[in-house]
Amino acid sequence: MPQPAMPLVKGTLDIIILRTLSWGPTHGYAISRWIRQTTADELQIEEGALYPALRRLEERSWIESAWKTTESGREARVYHLTTAGRSQLKLELKGWARYVAAMTQVLETRPATALT
Amino acid sequence: MRPDEELPLSRKLPVDVDVRRELAYHIEERTRELIAIGRTPDAAAVEARAVFGDLDSIQAECRVITRRDRWARRRAETFESYRQDLVLAFRLLRKSPAFALAAILTLALGIGANAAIFSAVNGILLKPLPYDHPGQLVDISEANEHGWSNVPWANMMDWRAQSRSFDGMAAYGYGDVTVLTSQGPANTRVAVVSEDFFKVMRTTAAHGRLPLPEEHREGVAGVAVVSDAFWRSHLNATTDLTAQHLKTDRDYQVVGVLPPGFQFPRDVDVWMPLEPAGNATSRTAHNWATVARLKPHVSLVQADRELDTLTARMAELYKPDFDAVGANLTPLQDLLTTSARRPLYLLLGASALLLLAACTNLASSILARGMARQQEIAVRIAIGAGRIRIIRQLLTESMLLAVLGCVSGLVAAELLLKLFVHLAPGALRLSDVHVDGWVLVFTGLVGASTTVLIGLFPALRTSGAQPGLALREGGRAGTGRGERKIWGALVVAEVALAATLLCASGLTIRSLGAVLQIDPGFRPDSVLTVTLSLPTVVYDDDHKREQVWSRILDGVRAVPGVEIAALNNSLPLSGVDADGAFGIEGVAPNAAGYGPGNAGYRMISEQYFAAMAIPLLSGRDFAARDVDGAEATVMINQSLARRWFKDQDPVGHRIRLQSGMDNQGDNWLTIIGIVGDVHHNSLTRPPFPELYVPFRQRPTRGYAAMLVIKTRGEPTSLTPAVTAVLQQTVPEAVPVFRTMNDRLAGTQTDRRFVAIILSAFALIALLLAGVGIYGVVSYTAAQRTREMGIRMALGADPSSVRGLVLRGAMGQVVTGLGIGLVAALASTRILQSLLYQTSATDPVAFVATAALLLGVAWLASYLPAWRMARLDPALTIRSE
Repeated sequence: MPQPAMPLVKGTLDIIILRTLSWGPTHGYAISRWIRQTTADELQIEEGALYPALRRLEERSWIESAWKTTESGREARVYHLTTAGRSQLKLELKGWARYVAAMTQVLETRPATALT
Repeated sequence: MRPDEELPLSRKLPVDVDVRRELAYHIEERTRELIAIGRTPDAAAVEARAVFGDLDSIQAECRVITRRDRWARRRAETFESYRQDLVLAFRLLRKSPAFALAAILTLALGIGANAAIFSAVNGILLKPLPYDHPGQLVDISEANEHGWSNVPWANMMDWRAQSRSFDGMAAYGYGDVTVLTSQGPANTRVAVVSEDFFKVMRTTAAHGRLPLPEEHREGVAGVAVVSDAFWRSHLNATTDLTAQHLKTDRDYQVVGVLPPGFQFPRDVDVWMPLEPAGNATSRTAHNWATVARLKPHVSLVQADRELDTLTARMAELYKPDFDAVGANLTPLQDLLTTSARRPLYLLLGASALLLLAACTNLASSILARGMARQQEIAVRIAIGAGRIRIIRQLLTESMLLAVLGCVSGLVAAELLLKLFVHLAPGALRLSDVHVDGWVLVFTGLVGASTTVLIGLFPALRTSGAQPGLALREGGRAGTGRGERKIWGALVVAEVALAATLLCASGLTIRSLGAVLQIDPGFRPDSVLTVTLSLPTVVYDDDHKREQVWSRILDGVRAVPGVEIAALNNSLPLSGVDADGAFGIEGVAPNAAGYGPGNAGYRMISEQYFAAMAIPLLSGRDFAARDVDGAEATVMINQSLARRWFKDQDPVGHRIRLQSGMDNQGDNWLTIIGIVGDVHHNSLTRPPFPELYVPFRQRPTRGYAAMLVIKTRGEPTSLTPAVTAVLQQTVPEAVPVFRTMNDRLAGTQTDRRFVAIILSAFALIALLLAGVGIYGVVSYTAAQRTREMGIRMALGADPSSVRGLVLRGAMGQVVTGLGIGLVAALASTRILQSLLYQTSATDPVAFVATAALLLGVAWLASYLPAWRMARLDPALTIRSE
């Protein structure tokens, strides 16, 4: 029996988008597809939620966009990472690593004595 | 931003299209993907929508974010471009500090003058009186055959009782007396006020209470209220007023203190309630100033009409002892500012002209700077900068100058106001004037118009550069005929503005000169005057007054350095005046039973005419023997002699005083001498009949008088010695010293103030015109260097080259002068009412203006012309 998809931890969508764009400029649909494929649908993201997030990142100048013609010959809003976005990504990756380490630590450590 | 740099497409799409397309793209691609894995097109479309979520709300959210984003970016961009303009402007000014300094100084003067004069207009004319609903307060005077005058008590009572237009009407009068307080004597302006006075002014007491209605009756115990300032300086600011008494003619209990802002009538410190009973039935004794409060919604005209109707009814009842024909209502605010209005508005206009002159001058400097940058600007236009953008950039520099000019102008205004206080007549009350919020607003507006005036024209001109032309000419623009016309126009404008100001200033100087030429009828040199007001509570009868003045005169005459000492209760130009009717032996009185003569009444001592060097024309002066009990004597002035005795010698004839000027009765007085006329009330008003009585016979009005001391040396050097004598003789009085020359000068401070300020403005405008002409001629001459070189190479001699440049410049100057003189002719007419015996078209002022301007302009253009003629032709031709 398939397990239900996990809800997304708040704020993690931003880091996912920035990470995805760090592989190269692309449009929203491609980002959405990439997330679905790499997580094998384990993350439960409403597809539309991606777009306000993209525009918010654009507002903060971490990404920029331009309408460009894709291989299929259609016009798509293509995003790319800015320099500021790149440093932001680094920052968030570091934060994420510390978060995961801390979580792992707390979840895997057994107390020596009973906690009172 | 470079013009070839492409804007991101997403910025160009309208936000809703941008959002709609992006989301539509997603759904279409998703649908396609679903079809690819085997869904039917319909099912795929439905599923794609379903996994997307709420399309409408997502769309809305995206729109909000992007709109906000774009707006913020646009704002930042605009801000950034303005900042760049400002930085560039700053850098350009820093590169030419001499220009920057001159420009800021010029503007500081122009804007400072405007801010200072506006401060005065705002603080004196525009600021509402500090009373409740000040617009309802009106001054009432009586219209009669003399024009207008104060109101007889009985008439005021009838108006007050019968009119329906007013919420109260009150009569008041005031004078300067010595008030004895627990802390010693004080020279104080005291007002007596009728019932309703405080109701009309709508004031309450800050401490204590106001006078009660019954305290206005004659014969009840005296009470008084005092000003906040007096309370602080003379009553120790004590809130327990029970022990505070003031003595003038009798004892007054202080019952209240008015709030700090209360200042009506002006400079009054003590108010005493009074409703006179006796002597108040006269319908022709014009003794009372009257103030009233209009009911809400009653207009000045309605109230005026009502009083006129009432007056007509009163006239039928009381003729012939009745001379009023109606009432004059003036808003109180206008009454209190009437003498300041014309001079201040005149100066405001003049300061505007000065600022225009400053702006014209700067506009030509800025234009010249712009011309020098024409190549740079042409390049920018050639690579696609918009003209608006260029104009904005050029205007930024002007704005920067204007802002700096405003800031330094406000500093200059504060300094100018301090200077004005010293120059201006005290009646202008400039000491109360300060730079306030309204002045800042006004200065801001002036600064904004200055930006436009100095910058817009040069910016339009410079930004209109045609790239091809300017670049080909190697940046040497401004050689065309059109350009020369513009420079000419600027010179014309500067000269015209300077000419207008010079004419106005010339006229006021001529008028001041005419006033100073007036012979006052006396010689003020080496004359010291001392005002002494004797408290009537101490000197309460004629005998005591006669005695004390005798003692004072004896004491002062003994002071070393005193040549002559005399006294007069009503000195010329002192503002003190009293007049009355007199009868002439053998001449029938007029229809009303009095007169027929009317003359100024002066109570003097012997030697007064000698002290003032007023010539004795016939008969003899008063002497120590003209005492009570001897033959009653009087002296008259030339005007009285001419008016009533024609070619007869009046000496030996007899007259009698009728109007209760003193309480000596109406016995016949023998005329013993005739003296020359003096200008009593004002230098500019003609002398009128005056009579002089000896204080030893008629000391009644001797409760206050002025000592007139002719000194051997510098008059003020005697002040300590005279003070010592007075302190011994009359410790209850506070002497006020002033030289007669100072009094004389004091009567002309308003004229002098206007003349000085106008002349200063005119001289600055003249200087600006001179500098401007010099700059323009130098600049345009430099543009023609090559032409001149060729002329000289072809045989023109230096003097003809010089002449060519000079002729061109002077042509513009003469045009400007013509325009300026015509403008002056049209505008100086508003000066006429301020001029004394000087026509607003006075040829001397106009010719002097023309001569001065032509001289300065010639000097200013000669220098560049001379330099041009000295150039080496060979060099100039090759210079291209």
